[in-house]
Amino acid sequence: MGEIRDFKSGRQERPPGDPTPRRLAAIVAGDIAGYSRLMQVDEEGTHNRVKRIERDLIEPTIVEHHGRLVKTTGDGFIAMFDSPVEAVRCSIVIQQNLVGRNAAVPKDYWIEYRIGVNLGDVIIEPDDIYGDGVNVASRLEGIAEPGQVFISGGIYEQIKHKLVCGYESLGDRKVKNITDPVRVYRVLPDASAFHRTRRRRENILIFLLSITLLIIAGGILWSMLIPRSEKVADRTPAPVSSPSPAASPKAAEPAPAQKQATAPAASPTAQPQPQPSASPAVTAITPPPPAREPEMVSLQGGSFSMGSNDDPSERPIRRVTIKPFSIGKYPVTVGEWNACAAANVCGFTATGNDEAPITNVSWSDAKQYVTWLADVTKKPYRLPSEAEWEFAARGGTQAKYWWGDQMQLGMASCKDCGDSAAAEQPIKVGNFKANPFGLHDMGGGVDQWVEDCWHKNYQGAPTDGSAWLGGDCTSHVLRSGSWKNDSRYVRPANRDNYDTNVRYPTHGLRVALSP
Amino acid sequence: MKVARTLLISAVLSSLANVAQAQDKPAPKDAVLYFVWPQNGTTIKGAFWCRFGLRNMGVTHAGDEYQNSGHHHLLIDVNEPLNPKEPIPSDKSHLHFGAGQTEARIELPPGKHTLQLVLGDAKHYPFNPPVVSEKITIRVR
Repeated sequence: MGEIRDFKSGRQERPPGDPTPRRLAAIVAGDIAGYSRLMQVDEEGTHNRVKRIERDLIEPTIVEHHGRLVKTTGDGFIAMFDSPVEAVRCSIVIQQNLVGRNAAVPKDYWIEYRIGVNLGDVIIEPDDIYGDGVNVASRLEGIAEPGQVFISGGIYEQIKHKLVCGYESLGDRKVKNITDPVRVYRVLPDASAFHRTRRRRENILIFLLSITLLIIAGGILWSMLIPRSEKVADRTPAPVSSPSPAASPKAAEPAPAQKQATAPAASPTAQPQPQPSASPAVTAITPPPPAREPEMVSLQGGSFSMGSNDDPSERPIRRVTIKPFSIGKYPVTVGEWNACAAANVCGFTATGNDEAPITNVSWSDAKQYVTWLADVTKKPYRLPSEAEWEFAARGGTQAKYWWGDQMQLGMASCKDCGDSAAAEQPIKVGNFKANPFGLHDMGGGVDQWVEDCWHKNYQGAPTDGSAWLGGDCTSHVLRSGSWKNDSRYVRPANRDNYDTNVRYPTHGLRVALSP
Repeated sequence: MKVARTLLISAVLSSLANVAQAQDKPAPKDAVLYFVWPQNGTTIKGAFWCRFGLRNMGVTHAGDEYQNSGHHHLLIDVNEPLNPKEPIPSDKSHLHFGAGQTEARIELPPGKHTLQLVLGDAKHYPFNPPVVSEKITIRVR
């Protein structure tokens, strides 16, 4: 390994009596197709562009793949690699990168490399390498079409099961000045195949799109033909897919009154819109949606006993240490979510009160939101780990609920938590008392996604507060329980799970922030 | 203010009514939802693979609005009747298989348990008429 990297200084280390070190290496030879034509068209420009490609693309790519640039000639280069896989990978990267570079200029000015890769025994000199192996690489390059990578049988045997891309056998080829014919393969993710597959993909997409349109049109026609039994006459622009289930008129009524009562006390995320009726207009009109950062509470960290004996999934109870971090004071709201939707990142625009928790999000949706938030704010926003969530929900307590071992009426939003308004979908976040850490709705309200993959209990779980990944990651952990669950689900130790990519009307999220 | 409040309430109500309205997905009359395994009265030792059978309808992902297709829900020891106007609940006794699973590894404490399958539409609502299996009773040793 070290030998190849330092072959320029290798002379001193060379044992006496062995003047020419030989070794096996993967050799990459590349040259520009139609170099003289390019030089004729624009000598200085071509020279500058070739030098730039060498400096910006070829040299760094070779280094990235643990290779060594042996030499550059006017229109080409020779590099050597320890690993055939890396050699071919490097060649593919260079070719695909050039496709992108060429896309911006007229075809006459395209700089296209032909690349050959061979595995062979070489003699290493300070500034060059020699041997059959090098010659075969150059010959392969010579027969390659512009933008393509040709590899020899030796390379193919080494990489065929390791590098996932197509190989097309071109049979045995007789090459100039080499006695035995060389088996040649073409590596398929080249420039033209790239274009070809893209065109095919476009066709498939168009086909699928037209089918979808047909289905939609058919669906509309069908629904128009089927008579509805009841119709709501005075419907204001109604959401197509509101996540909310049916609510009785009785339950929705107290909501606005309650909002007015709690608005001064809560003063949370929505300072710009104290008037709830005015709020939808604010986000709808401003064209570039500003990222609404959720209000965060920073926590010191510490260690706590995670889990409980109330459910097999919460065992065994173990000591977990949490590093300092911040967590959202409330679950992410509809208003906060819609900023992400307006930026065309989040998959759907939610309807409803701006201050209501966002619902009907899958774990993947939740990840998309935090990734977007981190992106626009340049802060490391993320989903909390399951341990962080429970630490935050317990608020320094070890009881069944953060307020004690007994369920108390009016402390959370759940099916049998007592408050009649809480029995339906949460109208806004922060309706209930904060826990000792100052966090609202940590239990009841909406289910909240965390980073961890689902494991049926804590056997083998990490104790450093990090997210537990791995295992069967087709479902992820949900915390908090929702307004539709009973009081057992409000417990901070309660854990549940759901399919990663499936939306459900009670599922929301809360963000965390690394310090 | 009062007008705004009335407007808000009516907006919320009409949207909610719309949801309850929109979910009456029709199911073919001959759709049959059943347990491939276990069968009624089976005694099982430890965890088992529960396999769901569906005839004359298709299984798809939750969220996919295809005609005559839905996804499975397994109800364990549930006695409350199903509310056709609400999404099938999600909790430890209402297991969802929205990724289109047709079997699941189930682990239950020893004793008698009831199992029932319910097919849900794209938004987890039961069909109309509901596509449900027979409620079977098994014993776990």
